[in-house]
Amino acid sequence: MAQTHEHGDHSHPAAPMVEEISDFEILEIAVRELAIEKGLFTAEDHRKFTEWAEQIGPAGGSRLVAKAWVDPAFKARVLTDAVAACREIGIDWAEPTGQGTPSDYMELRVLEDTPTLHHVIVCTLCSCYPRPLLGHSPYWYRSPNYRRRLVRWPRHVLAEFGLILPPEVEIRVEDSNQKCRFMVLPLRPAGSENWTEEQLAEIVTRDCMIGVALPRPDRKADDVRPVHQASRPVGGEHHEPGSGP
Amino acid sequence: MESGETGDAPARFNVGDRVRVKDLPNLFYSRTQMYVRGVRGTIAARTYEDLLPEDEAWNRDDAQPEQFYIVRFRQKDLWDGYPFENDTLQTELPDRWLEPAGN
Repeated sequence: MAQTHEHGDHSHPAAPMVEEISDFEILEIAVRELAIEKGLFTAEDHRKFTEWAEQIGPAGGSRLVAKAWVDPAFKARVLTDAVAACREIGIDWAEPTGQGTPSDYMELRVLEDTPTLHHVIVCTLCSCYPRPLLGHSPYWYRSPNYRRRLVRWPRHVLAEFGLILPPEVEIRVEDSNQKCRFMVLPLRPAGSENWTEEQLAEIVTRDCMIGVALPRPDRKADDVRPVHQASRPVGGEHHEPGSGP
Repeated sequence: MESGETGDAPARFNVGDRVRVKDLPNLFYSRTQMYVRGVRGTIAARTYEDLLPEDEAWNRDDAQPEQFYIVRFRQKDLWDGYPFENDTLQTELPDRWLEPAGN
């Protein structure tokens, strides 16, 4: 559908909303098709790996945090050898190749928040993310906007996520630019005393482990999200301008 | 980058050491962000030994592995006029990109 828009004395068709394929996407397709032709793997293998990689999700990270909150000895192991601690909760960073995926190296550091220190992770170069624990990163984590602004204006960016911390709390940005992967171990919130590990895991959402949110006892990952009614719903009663709401 | 002799390059820095990030030329590829170049920071952790990204990018598997470090910077040192005293930033750098910096 060709729409037009105007520039004062002239108008021209709007550019179609089609993103061009990047050189790297072309390269990936070319290498993949060559590998399939050469018999290194099949298209079915590739599909199965993609399906496996994309179903991981952040539940493993939530379980890790919940267990660290209730078990100080486990927390100590998380902070000294995080990859080994992951194996204790059934997450093996070596999957599926024996040495991890091609871009998830076997180096993980868990960053522990304290009442005076808050961590937040970013990869300014691209999209490094602890995928075996948290699954694929959210789209905004990979956006140039988040990547370039978080290092320069961390408090402004956190405020856009609704997280405002007092100046006395040190904000520590971790720019993941080499082979270490990072995850935040947030503070256990007041109001969660005597909870079971399963209950605690429910409030440790993905964003809490990136560091753009704090866990709250009243907010779970699978909560129903708030719905705001549209002020002018489609199919609602039509109002003439000036006739009031 | 020079191709290595046998063995790894010795790690020159310990946790707590003050270092400055060198501003080396970009030889086609680097993972050293522009915003840390020339800035002083503190070694926060030793991580692992590995090839430099500059060598790995060109499949120079015979190059000499080096120690990598997590370096902590004060945000006030990275950005002119950064308004919060306590805030910090950490990133990871290989030995070759660092030089000793006094206190």
